[in-house]
Amino acid sequence: MLTIKNLHVSVEDKEILRGINLQVNAGEVHAIMGPNGSGKSTLANVLAGREDYEVTQGEVIFNGQDLLDMEVDERAHAGVFMAFQYPVEIPGVSMATFLKSAINAMRVVRGQEELGPAQMLKFIRERLRMLGMDESVLRRSLNEGFSGGEKKRNEMLQMALLEPTLAILDETDSGLDIDALRIVADAVNKLRSPERAFIIVTHYQRLLNYIVPDYVHVLYDGRIVRSGGKELALELEARGYDWIKEEVAAG
Amino acid sequence: MAITTSVHTQKDLLTHFQQLALQMLGSNGQQASRWATLRRAAIERLPAVRFPTRRDEDWKYTSVSAITNETWALGRAVPIAAEDLSRAFFDGLDALRIVFVNGIWQPELSTPLSEWPKGLTLQPLVEAVDRHGNEWVVQVLKQRLSHVNPFVTLNTALSQDGMLLQTAASACIDLPVHCVFIATEQDEPFVQAPQLFVDAHPNSKLTFIEHYLPQGTAAPRYFTCATTQVRVAANAEVHHYRLQREGAWGRQINYCAVTQARDSRYYSYATDLGGMLVRNNQDVILEASNTETFLNGVYLLGGEQHVDNQTFMDHAVPHCQSNELYKGIVMGKARGVFNGKVLVRPDAQKTNAFQQNSTLLLSPTAVMDAKPQLEIFADDVRCSHGATIGQLDENAIFYLRTRGLSEKEARKLLQFAFVAEVLDRMPDEPVRQAVCQLVQDKLDELS
Ligand SMILES: Nc1ncnc2c1ncn2[C@@H]1O[C@H](COP(=O)(O)OP(=O)(O)OP(=O)(O)O)[C@@H](O)[C@H]1O
Ligand SMILES: [Mg+2]
Repeated sequence: MLTIKNLHVSVEDKEILRGINLQVNAGEVHAIMGPNGSGKSTLANVLAGREDYEVTQGEVIFNGQDLLDMEVDERAHAGVFMAFQYPVEIPGVSMATFLKSAINAMRVVRGQEELGPAQMLKFIRERLRMLGMDESVLRRSLNEGFSGGEKKRNEMLQMALLEPTLAILDETDSGLDIDALRIVADAVNKLRSPERAFIIVTHYQRLLNYIVPDYVHVLYDGRIVRSGGKELALELEARGYDWIKEEVAAG
Repeated sequence: MAITTSVHTQKDLLTHFQQLALQMLGSNGQQASRWATLRRAAIERLPAVRFPTRRDEDWKYTSVSAITNETWALGRAVPIAAEDLSRAFFDGLDALRIVFVNGIWQPELSTPLSEWPKGLTLQPLVEAVDRHGNEWVVQVLKQRLSHVNPFVTLNTALSQDGMLLQTAASACIDLPVHCVFIATEQDEPFVQAPQLFVDAHPNSKLTFIEHYLPQGTAAPRYFTCATTQVRVAANAEVHHYRLQREGAWGRQINYCAVTQARDSRYYSYATDLGGMLVRNNQDVILEASNTETFLNGVYLLGGEQHVDNQTFMDHAVPHCQSNELYKGIVMGKARGVFNGKVLVRPDAQKTNAFQQNSTLLLSPTAVMDAKPQLEIFADDVRCSHGATIGQLDENAIFYLRTRGLSEKEARKLLQFAFVAEVLDRMPDEPVRQAVCQLVQDKLDELS
């Protein structure tokens, strides 16, 4: 589904990703861990299409298409979804208006009919329930004044409504209490299917108890320096990153 | 935009206006009446009128040459079919209609007087003065003779029709009054100078809409020189919508003066979408305590439009509240101006005055001049003002696009959200929806 080859990315002439290679197949869950500032969010944002980053080398193929050549919204239409580490607050745009516009925009490109107001409300209500969210959020401005946990849940709501094929979750678990974490994990697990893949960026092994990954990668200093199974997450939790940093330093 | 200029001096133009006005007065054949005397006084003052220049502080950002360079005829009563009016009315809005075409009242297109509700009367100004001896109207027209704004004198001299709306004391009028000012194509550029007087008596409540637009998709060349006078008596409440959709070649100078008596409430909702050159003056004089005033404004400008909003809140007495929020979007080579003056006189203790002007400037050639002016001479007051000029948040655009919205949709959504804060303050749902739709249409047109 997703093939990243030798991806190099710079911001303001500073190289942040220094040769990423990653293969994600349909049905898989990949966890990406790594110290602060190692480039995890940069990778997620480059995949979603943020323009502040300059790709200097490498390629990204998504379902046979050159992902880096696609517009931000084209990537969304093709099925790429990123849950933001820091979701943006947008005053004046109500959740209801936003969700309707996004759902219908996606339906149109998929050749489906737009949902009428009644079906739309039914669909949104059902997914709100799945995320344990109150219907009153629909009247609020998008993310404005939402608590950290509410914002993360809102990202998961959007994922559940837009039904992407590749979902990239950038620290969706950070700042969630244990109940919210379970709700989020349940939502992800419900969406898991042989056609879908997930890239889950996290600092905490705790999430991976609920969403069991097929692979765990360590991103350090712009490179994936180690990959393994779910045991790697446990090892990192127990030992921290110093041993990996030392190994990298030793070459 | 090229303007075919006829070479004339301002003096020529004023003499020309004076002749037009005298002809009109003569054809009315009422020279002896009180009304005619007032009109004649205004006409006689015309030669002394001096049009403002950019050197005048209040006109620093707005040149009126698009008005003074043309030769204007008077608006004529052109027949217009009822179905041509459909653009002027709002879906789902049950309202009392007053229709003007080219500055002339059209009773046959308006709601028949027999259908007006109890507690609300409509009179042509000439009748209000000559038949009913309305001293308020007379007094206002007299004061206007020496008004600092020359266009107020021009309006008095050139007006072909004016209307007085009056509520009875304690009358709560549920139906809004929808005043439509339509400009149609004429062989020469023309001026229309409607007058509207609104007198809300004690404890009454009234909603009225001023709505300016050209007929169909025509682009007549015209100049609307309009005045509105509102008196809000003790404990009365007035909601005043002004929807300006003048045509691409329409010019408008609008002067609105409001006086508020004790415990009264006045809310204005001004939306400027059209016009090539537009100048709005909104003055509110607080004459007694415990009043509430909200001035809300939205402007969407593109192309080479120029729209200038001037507001003046005069706090002369204690315990009054005013709240002003003007927001707009300026694109293309358009220019917006906002000058909000708040005067808190020495006696106006416990004044609560808030003012905010925010603009999105969305092209490198667009211009916005914002000038909040707070003059405070009392010490125990709460006043704040702010002016911001900004761009759309690129992070927000990225966020929306990652959810599948096109860049254009994302920008439009954010632009609409920016002005929705003001539009949401409109309490009459069918009016709010109609204005929202027009705002959306204009955003589509500009994007
Ligand atoms: N827009 C930007 N401008 C300048 N520097 C940036 C920008 N975005 C990221 N960086 C830098 O790139 C490096 C990687 O940042 P990134 O956000 O990808 O790290 P991360 O692995 O997600 O960290 P964390 O675990 O703290 O979220 C950091 O040094 C950061 O300061
Ligand atoms: Mg990060």
